[in-house]
Amino acid sequence: MKTVLYVEDNEFNRKIVRQLLGRTSYRLIEATDGEAGVSTARAERPDLIIMDIQLPRLSGLEATRQLKAAPETADVPIIVITSFALAGDEQKARDAGAAAYLAKPYSPRELLGMIRDLAPES
Amino acid sequence: MGERIARLVLAYSPLGALVRRVARVRASVHSKLLAAFLLIALLLIALGVTSLESIAGVARQSRLLDQARERVDAMRQIEHAFGLQMNFMRNALALRDDASIESIFRENNRFHDTFNRLEDSAGPSQRDAIRSIRRTQDQVMATVARIAALIRDDKADEAMDLHLSEGYPLYREIATQVTRAVREEEAGMGRIREGVEATYRRALLLTGGFAAASIVLALGLGFVISWSFILPVREAEGFLGEVAKGDFGGSIEVPNRDEFGSLARQMNEMSRELHQLYDEQRRAAHQLRALNAQLEQASRAKSDFLASMSHELRTPMNAILGFTEMIRDGLYGEIPPDIQEPVGDIHTCGKQLLGLINNVLDLSKIEAGHMELAPSEYVVEDVVNTIKLSLRALAASKGLELVTTVVPDLPLCLGDGKRITQCLMNLAGNALKFTAEGRVEIRVEQEGEHLRFAVADTGIGIPADQIEHIFEEFRQADATVTRDFGGTGLGLAITKKLVELHGGRIWVQSEPGKGSTFFFTIPVRVTQEAPA
Repeated sequence: MKTVLYVEDNEFNRKIVRQLLGRTSYRLIEATDGEAGVSTARAERPDLIIMDIQLPRLSGLEATRQLKAAPETADVPIIVITSFALAGDEQKARDAGAAAYLAKPYSPRELLGMIRDLAPES
Repeated sequence: MGERIARLVLAYSPLGALVRRVARVRASVHSKLLAAFLLIALLLIALGVTSLESIAGVARQSRLLDQARERVDAMRQIEHAFGLQMNFMRNALALRDDASIESIFRENNRFHDTFNRLEDSAGPSQRDAIRSIRRTQDQVMATVARIAALIRDDKADEAMDLHLSEGYPLYREIATQVTRAVREEEAGMGRIREGVEATYRRALLLTGGFAAASIVLALGLGFVISWSFILPVREAEGFLGEVAKGDFGGSIEVPNRDEFGSLARQMNEMSRELHQLYDEQRRAAHQLRALNAQLEQASRAKSDFLASMSHELRTPMNAILGFTEMIRDGLYGEIPPDIQEPVGDIHTCGKQLLGLINNVLDLSKIEAGHMELAPSEYVVEDVVNTIKLSLRALAASKGLELVTTVVPDLPLCLGDGKRITQCLMNLAGNALKFTAEGRVEIRVEQEGEHLRFAVADTGIGIPADQIEHIFEEFRQADATVTRDFGGTGLGLAITKKLVELHGGRIWVQSEPGKGSTFFFTIPVRVTQEAPA
């Protein structure tokens, strides 16, 4: 069973992914800010991380950078959710080490496809 | 060299003080020059008068000398006449004839004529000597008359005695007197000659002195006057040099109270004005820099605000669209038929709201200068097919024909494909929106270095007086258009700005009731990012 960590501060968006993955075999763990995201990832060693770009305490980009720098989490693929705010966001996500990125508002269907690509459901 | 000498003279001689004093004289340059020339001219006139006077003096003395020489000649004639008379007397005494006596009287008459001439031209001192000679001559004539009477009476011995005792001594005395007079006259001539020489020497000294004084004065005046003009000009030269180098606010100090003085005053005035202007400009530049910094800060703030607004708006949109999509996908089970339509409406309106948010954010980004193109290679057919796929359903639902034509063999293009798609989508979407029947045609051609996109419709068209405003924000051809057709009026404004960002241009041809054709061009290869 694969574990997916979703780092997002908005309850409704976490609920979408929770319900989206509820019908699948993925186990979902959640974190609501960047720092919590990094510590949870270190503790739980998920198979995939979905990281919102804008988070309290520590930005999604910075959290991604830290996870990619740490040897125990460096191999975990990360999907960065950008908000198309400014040009260059996508490039920044790539530079930070994201395996893929999705722009908000994303289609749950599309996200699920992406999750299955990066961490196949065994 | 000359320059250094002039500087030394100015620094160490009283001429320097004189130069400053002349400069301070409150008179025009013209008057100063005139005064200097008049002074030199007066000196030359004085020189001329002195020379003339000297010449006149020499001439006068020469005339006196001539007269004296004439008198000496006359004296010599008198001496000669006496000699003849003595001779005649000797003849008369030896021959005892009357004729010799007559000759004596004849000589005496000539003697008198000469005497008269002498007396006219002689000076007072010589006149006494001449009178005394004449008196003695008169005595001689009386004696000669007596001797003549004795000879006629044949008293030769008595006559001889009388001659020896009276006549001869008288003759001797006359000879002595004449000799003395001649000597005196010659002494006078010597004096006159000396006088002439003295006069000549004096004239020479006087003329030379005047000439030398004139030269010295002319040189001195020339030096003083010219340096009283040169010094302020030099000052002005240095001053203007500094002004030319951009060193404003200096001033020029000249003692002159003439045209140069007023020139210096005006230059100082100019310098003050320039300095003031320079200060103002510097202040303005400083303010501008401060303003610029503020603007940059404001721009950063706006950029931060845009980023957070975009995120804040998209986060709830994500939930709305995400949940509706999952409902429609049957994630929560099958949707009851009577709820299918409202769920579809929520989804449609959610998409519209998202489109609106995207447009507003795009426009804000463009205006804040934060819109950056992401150029990469793209294929025009792909762009057109994306549009066709997206809009096919809308066209079909309105019963409109959607035709796309892309000329074959277009090269691989370089540009922000997503943004170009957005532009074409805006135009084609508008065309479908404003066309009730007929067709919408998208056509792409190459024109030299540019691609030309054209979107033609058979819709309501745009009135001529509104064409020029059609690309402004929140403008649609008619306020009622918004009511009838919906839309925010942002699409064209964004399209125009994106096209221009690519270095292209956009325009429209339209006829109300017949339709519109929108054109825009994009460089085949966007080589550099055009300024936002």
